[in-house]
Amino acid sequence: MTLGDILQQAPSAETLQLWLRKVPYAAFLGIRAELRDGEILFILPEDKKLVGNSSLPALHGGVVGAFMEQAAAFHLIAKMEKPVLPKIINFSLDYLRPARLRDTYAQCKLTRQGRLIANVTINAWQENSNQPNAIARAHFLLPESD
Amino acid sequence: MSVLSNKQKFQLIKKMSDRVPHTALLGIQVVSIDGEELTLKLPYQKALVGDPTAGTLHGGALTVLLDQTLGMSTVCSDRIKPPVTPTLDLRIDHLGVAPPGMDIFACARVYKATRKILFVDGFAYCESRDKPIARASGSWVRVADVDLSWFLDSGQAGAQQ
Repeated sequence: MTLGDILQQAPSAETLQLWLRKVPYAAFLGIRAELRDGEILFILPEDKKLVGNSSLPALHGGVVGAFMEQAAAFHLIAKMEKPVLPKIINFSLDYLRPARLRDTYAQCKLTRQGRLIANVTINAWQENSNQPNAIARAHFLLPESD
Repeated sequence: MSVLSNKQKFQLIKKMSDRVPHTALLGIQVVSIDGEELTLKLPYQKALVGDPTAGTLHGGALTVLLDQTLGMSTVCSDRIKPPVTPTLDLRIDHLGVAPPGMDIFACARVYKATRKILFVDGFAYCESRDKPIARASGSWVRVADVDLSWFLDSGQAGAQQ
């Protein structure tokens, strides 16, 4: 089954896992997803290969960004009537505190979905969702579906 | 302000990169240092693909490369001592898509250094630097200066100019 085929299925815990496994870089980072209270929770499990600063140790900031961007894209796809892979236009990331070597979580909000453009905000945390390690905003271009 | 030679900057960045397991894993390497401009390369690999149908690179892999290049370029600024700099923020504009199978290059330099903040600009390209696939800007906080004693005493770098 291609990613496109899987995307046509309604998002469930199982299809989310299938989506993530079909994207090589998401699989490489080890990103997982769960449904919690009807919302998608993305998880980047603790893994030494993601370390960017071995003396702290802390996750590479770019990896945290990549995780948040992937979360934003799949959150958006899950909200689409006709799911397609959106194209990232730009990504703006604020680092609030270093991400330690432990599990990292992300949740997204589809702030606005127009005909052409979607705006997604992302919150990433480790200990407490009220103390984010990073926040980000992504703009996506929605391919014409017809 | 002491200015390191291109060769010294190259060696310093290589040593600092040894302490960054993730970029070593991705095979990110220094291509060149031209004065204040640093160029790094991310070799193409299938594990970094974002769109399995098209075979194109994941935007997130580009984020890692650009974060690393812009952050490391702070060592190449001739206006300040090499700093220890956590990233404050980073913004990336995706101008195009890297063709499948191609290595990605990223260039960056410090645009402006203030007492505490470094403003850095950069871009990424595949075939030619005239055809960027992404541009980036971000700010880095100068929390301290890099302790150069371990580096300069190692005998590899020679005396400061």
